[in-house]
Amino acid sequence: MASIELDRVSKLYGNGNYGVHEVDLTIPDGEFVIFLGPSGCGKSTTLRMIAGLESISSGDLRIGGKSVANVAPRDRNVAVVFQSYALYPHMSVRQNMAFGLTMRGVDAAVIDAKIADAANLLGLQNLLGRKPAALSGGQRQRVALGRAIVREPAAFLLDEPLSNLDAQLRAEMRLELVKLHRRLGRTIVHVTHDQVEAMTMGDRICIMRDGRLVQAGRPLEVYADPVNTFVARFLATPPMNLIPATLQPAPGEGLSVLTDSGAVLAVPVRHHNAYGECVGRRVILGVRAEDFHESPDKPDWQKIAVRVVTVEALGAENVLIGQIAGQATGRDDAHPAGGDKPLEIAARLSRYFTAPVGSIVELYIDPLPMHLFDPETELVIARPSLMRATR
Amino acid sequence: MTSMDRNERPAFRRRFGLHFGLIVVCAIVLLPPLWVLRTSFVPEQLSYSNELMPAFTTDNYSALLSSRFGQSYLNSLIVALGSVLLALPFAATTGYAFARFRTGGRWARFAVLATQMLPPVALVLPTFTLFRSLELSNSLTGLIIVYAALNLPFLTWILMGFFEGIPVDLEWAAMTDGATAWGAFWRIVLPVSMPGIAAAGVLGFILAWNEFLFALVLSGPKTATIPVALAALQTSNGVQIAKVSAGVVLAILPLVVASRFIQRFIVQGLTFGSVK
Repeated sequence: MASIELDRVSKLYGNGNYGVHEVDLTIPDGEFVIFLGPSGCGKSTTLRMIAGLESISSGDLRIGGKSVANVAPRDRNVAVVFQSYALYPHMSVRQNMAFGLTMRGVDAAVIDAKIADAANLLGLQNLLGRKPAALSGGQRQRVALGRAIVREPAAFLLDEPLSNLDAQLRAEMRLELVKLHRRLGRTIVHVTHDQVEAMTMGDRICIMRDGRLVQAGRPLEVYADPVNTFVARFLATPPMNLIPATLQPAPGEGLSVLTDSGAVLAVPVRHHNAYGECVGRRVILGVRAEDFHESPDKPDWQKIAVRVVTVEALGAENVLIGQIAGQATGRDDAHPAGGDKPLEIAARLSRYFTAPVGSIVELYIDPLPMHLFDPETELVIARPSLMRATR
Repeated sequence: MTSMDRNERPAFRRRFGLHFGLIVVCAIVLLPPLWVLRTSFVPEQLSYSNELMPAFTTDNYSALLSSRFGQSYLNSLIVALGSVLLALPFAATTGYAFARFRTGGRWARFAVLATQMLPPVALVLPTFTLFRSLELSNSLTGLIIVYAALNLPFLTWILMGFFEGIPVDLEWAAMTDGATAWGAFWRIVLPVSMPGIAAAGVLGFILAWNEFLFALVLSGPKTATIPVALAALQTSNGVQIAKVSAGVVLAILPLVVASRFIQRFIVQGLTFGSVK
């Protein structure tokens, strides 16, 4: 049993700044949890507090139901895989893997058997005699994992273990880690700033910002229903398009969103109840890049004119960067951050899409997954989730 | 003349000029020690001769080694090695504490250097008075303690730098693997920083080996170290230059060996592949 409970855990530094601020989170036994956030958001500090490598300023931390706030790292029965791998350079691969077991006084024959098992699992059989300096990055990473596995810890804490690998190896190791989790069934806390890792690996994503836990949930739920503009933008490439607009009544009993450039988007009937109270208010319209389409495949998709800034050909798809061309006013949307830079939107289109730079193209927005955010608080204006509705 | 010849000529001239310059500098640096080496193998009465090698003899060496100089050589080895072995454990633990913890704050780091900032002559008389009352003057033990104390701040700072270069992840990994903080230091940090500790040790050895002032004041005839013994070759009958030369050659030998080591250790990477 290795559930991990963070009960209003904070890390306060000497200069009065919070590294981590009142994080509340319960990780059930066997869950694969991803801590995601930009550099300096407190995700690695949280991981180190779970490991016992950083003290907790306030709150409580429980592993397997027992408070470990004052328990030394060696007695917490967790294994950490560091971004740098932190292999002991003066020891062979075998000695590196045996270290934790030796420290716990495990019998030599048992150590040999466990190392053999882990080496088989990770394909390290031929490397056991080598020193870390004689290994490639990927091999070092596997040794670091092996060192953690042989100890059979209650939980694995992975601190950006894939960030030093090249793209191909990273994709392979991503899959390997998921398989490993299925096979071992242990709790894994994985810290990363890579949203692809976050979306593909974990049972649950915990998004952190400025030391606070902003949102936690299943990857697709967080993607579909971000709680604020930060999560909306952080969890996708290209990030969600955020367009300053005003919510206004439309003919009949309808609602529409009028962007600052004058483009009008009718709000789907399904969202009328949720957004009805906000009529007349300034809002930020959130539209994901994949909700732009080249042709009106469905009748409720709405036409919008976009001036082409550039088209990024990624092979499998083309990403159009452009400005929404105003229908009524003829002026462009202002950038939400202010300044003279006009707002650019990104649309994920098919690989066959081409358009000359500067031309105006017609795209179709699927309005159903749209979000509205409060421009002051940047929090989402709640509406029923499409995820729950479709499940 | 082909165009290639025209291009190669200035390059050759440049190379020649560079090498000629380097040869001159090497000669300026190397000639004095080479002349000392030559004089050490020449009989005393011919030592000032203008000839390159008027005669060859090893008498200077055998005379030196059969005199008290041989004892001084041994004294120097004992004192230099002893002081380094005494200072290193303190320097390693203090340096590690400074590198990893907020021990004493920044002030403490600089406070340990205080003795290095005083002129040695200001320390030597109080030390002499103290050691005489402790009956440590005229003893190798006294010299070992003095050199260990004098080198400690310097070695602490060198090792602090080495420890700061070791990724803290290594200790964290050891601590989650089941080691105590001391265990992580003993089993991981110390072995990993062996090149640094060896380099610091060699530097401490050289400093102790060459020290003259404290050795002169604190040693007696039986406990003189090499610098004192060399100075003693300057007698009322004049300087015995051939013997002095032989003494210098003998004195330099361990340092030549040591400098080979220090080069290897310093060049060797500190973390050699522990982290990417």
